Amino acid sequence: MDDTLSREEEVFDAARKLENPAEREAFLSQACRDDSALRERVETLLSVHNNAEEMFTECISALRSSADDPGSSAASHLAQGLEEEQPGAQIGHYKIVQKLGEGGCGVVYMAQQEKPMRRLVALKVIKLGMDTRAVIARFDAERQALAMMDHPNIAKVLDAGATRTGRPYFVMELVRGARITDYCDQNQVDTRHRLELFIQICHAIQHAHQKGIIHRDIKPSNIIVTLHDGLPVPKVIDFGIAKATEVPLTDKTLLTAQNQFIGTPAYMSPEQAGTGGIDIDTRGDIYSLGVLLYELLTGRTPFDPKTLLQSGVDEMRRTLLEVEPQRPSSRLAVLARDDLSTTAARRHTEPPRLIALIRGDLDWIVMKALEKERARRYETANGLAVDIQRHLSNEPVLARPPSRLYRLQKLIRRNKVIFIATAAVSAALIAGLGASTWLFLKEREARRRAVAAELQQIRLTQEAELARSNEARLRRQAEARQKVIQAAVLISQGKLDQADRMITDASPSEPSVEAAAVLRSLSEWRALQDKWPMAADRSSSLLRVNQLDGWDQGSLDFLGAGVCLIESGRADQFDQFRQLALSRFASNTNSVAAERTVKICLLKPPDQTMMKSLAPLAGMAEASFTTFDARDSQATFRAAWGSVSLALWEYRLGHYAKSIVWAKRCLACPESNPPREAAARVVLAMGLHAGSQTDEALKQLHTARQSIAEKFNETLESGGADQGFWFDWVFAQILSEEATALVGSQ
Amino acid sequence: MNEITQILLSRQGGGFDSEELLPLVYNDLRRIAAARMASEAEGQTLQPTALVHEAWMRMFNGGDHRWTNRGHFFGEAVEAMRRILIERARRKSRLKRGHGWVRLDIDGLPLAEATPDDKVLMINDALERLEAEDPQRAKVVVMKFFGGLTNQETAKILGVAERTVERQWAFAKAWLFQNIREQM
Repeated sequence: MDDTLSREEEVFDAARKLENPAEREAFLSQACRDDSALRERVETLLSVHNNAEEMFTECISALRSSADDPGSSAASHLAQGLEEEQPGAQIGHYKIVQKLGEGGCGVVYMAQQEKPMRRLVALKVIKLGMDTRAVIARFDAERQALAMMDHPNIAKVLDAGATRTGRPYFVMELVRGARITDYCDQNQVDTRHRLELFIQICHAIQHAHQKGIIHRDIKPSNIIVTLHDGLPVPKVIDFGIAKATEVPLTDKTLLTAQNQFIGTPAYMSPEQAGTGGIDIDTRGDIYSLGVLLYELLTGRTPFDPKTLLQSGVDEMRRTLLEVEPQRPSSRLAVLARDDLSTTAARRHTEPPRLIALIRGDLDWIVMKALEKERARRYETANGLAVDIQRHLSNEPVLARPPSRLYRLQKLIRRNKVIFIATAAVSAALIAGLGASTWLFLKEREARRRAVAAELQQIRLTQEAELARSNEARLRRQAEARQKVIQAAVLISQGKLDQADRMITDASPSEPSVEAAAVLRSLSEWRALQDKWPMAADRSSSLLRVNQLDGWDQGSLDFLGAGVCLIESGRADQFDQFRQLALSRFASNTNSVAAERTVKICLLKPPDQTMMKSLAPLAGMAEASFTTFDARDSQATFRAAWGSVSLALWEYRLGHYAKSIVWAKRCLACPESNPPREAAARVVLAMGLHAGSQTDEALKQLHTARQSIAEKFNETLESGGADQGFWFDWVFAQILSEEATALVGSQ
Repeated sequence: MNEITQILLSRQGGGFDSEELLPLVYNDLRRIAAARMASEAEGQTLQPTALVHEAWMRMFNGGDHRWTNRGHFFGEAVEAMRRILIERARRKSRLKRGHGWVRLDIDGLPLAEATPDDKVLMINDALERLEAEDPQRAKVVVMKFFGGLTNQETAKILGVAERTVERQWAFAKAWLFQNIREQM
């Protein structure tokens, strides 16, 4: 410890308590004696003492106000935290018998139900501080659906309520047993029997999915194996609880990752990690089943839970969204010798046999369930079960090893920037294929065999109608994908007309980066040829498949499609188009996408409802583009485009003065972009005209029309972000026609 | 083996990991957070639960997760909360000044013009200087100021007398204030 400071502190501490100045003075003289530096220092501190206290008091209350917990005080949290139910205690209709276990978010008790019947149940009290009313309300919303579940492999959730101290609890069918992974390891269950247990779990999940219930938290501790007449029966527990206890996104707490991150990120699907629970469907459960299967086979989850937890929220997300896990057999192969022999022994076999058993089919089945992109996973839990059954009966499985082409596609998907940066069909795809068709032909042959195998299976397997139609659909999809790839190759060879015919046959409708790239090229190609109806067809199809491209490319596609529709004279379809744009971008949080959506939707005069729906997006654009850093050329560029949209927005609202201000802001931007300026001048002209400044209006419109006419005199080129895309020019032209009808021409 | 083998919820394998540790310390952490934030003031953005969760996540960001004792653990927990509260103050301070994008420079800002959030940031800067000079007193400030702990709790965690905490806290406040003035 610092001696000087300690001495200062001692003197200061004694002196501050002496209120009488004379006494203080005497004390200081005595205490400091000939140390004038010390005395000076202490006197300074004493003189600021009161101000310091004041500042700290102010700051402490500032820290307090930086947060709050509505509806509960510190004391009640303390009480909640200390509470533990004792045997004999009554919670609702239930009497606590004993504590069974404790986990990260709750305590589970065995309890005696009295009414309407006497039976033992499991009662889980949620420990994390949650809004009890909201938890119970969310549970109630699902109660009916939960009640409809009736499956031997599902433990029923019977009831929910609040304890005396206001914590939520759930009552479940009491299941006695061990979690599935422990059961299997302790009893050295071999791989075949593990798979059979797993198939039963798939059936239970399928049953729930058919009733509209998603589990959301499938993991070993939620699957208990209980013995029934000596036979192991897996039971899925906690259905409906994950949903009821998750923090809704509307409570924008800082930890968007929510409780699951504290609990079990290892079993969480990429979309769950990515969206924080907003867009979860049954395929999230398929992913978690994939993780469970991985663990049953290898004794490990695809990503190490501790590493995930320690890597922090962002890194965790990145891992779940982007990192491809190792195949189960490869994972086993790289284990230390001891680990591997233990793992094999727990599966009642030897290391080489275990690896050989898993390599191939089981690898692909697991990897298909673990696909990052949920559209590529098994469609249903049943589908997963059927494929495992096929493996067990030595039939060919649906899951396939990724081909080289497929891996290339994945590479491209991970590098979407390349796609966005190139106007024509992906340079990466062309480079990857070596611009020759040998790989394509090889691939086609492989696909043929795959398709033949699937057809064979359809004949052989006596499956339910549903499964059959699924296969037919998968086959159609495979064929469509095949045609898309062919079209991509044709485009790379400059055979756009052939590619166009190919894509007509394929009529892709599933989201796909490849199909989007092809359709984008083709719609642009048609637009530049002035063939607007065909351009409109292609760009409308593009909007159905471009969801994987992200907001930037996605919103540009809408700009292109909007102008194509109007140029092809399909104004009747424009309203529908606007609705589509809204549904796609209404909840987006990017101001550039917002600004583009506003702009394209206002290209034709809208009705009141449309204006109302666009208002939040316009508000978002206004908030971001009102102030920007003029030294940042990107920001300036975005603000200039945003100003055009906002000028048009204000004009459509009838706020002409505001509209003029925005249009002028755009024109004041230092870096020139001809189609943007033309559009700004057109809106400016309309605003001026409405304000009766007819001469100036005519002048501005004339300048804009001249610039547009010059551009359309030459052959239109695809263009780029800096100098304007082709659709930016067409946008300005369409708007200038509206303005000319209003203002007239010189 | 127990007849009722790990019913419903069972614990994650051996070892002292976060999933096991959290329930053990959760209530304490939460109480610290609630003490830090219990208030009826406006402008609230964060719940104690969220603060605990976030602090928890940050502690696991560091890599080294061996705590020698309770004091060590809570010391880190309060440090994590400090970082969160500072980030929040920094953000709010920037917003208030309308410098959405420009890095706020609180050096040279007259104390009279500083908002409470600015002052929190200034205190934190001065606290860093105190940490360099005298880590022990700085710890008291972190517990008291960012952790919102009582003298008694701080004394228990740091293993010193309550009276020492009281003395060091009073001195540190004057020291920090003077240090802030000297920086201007």
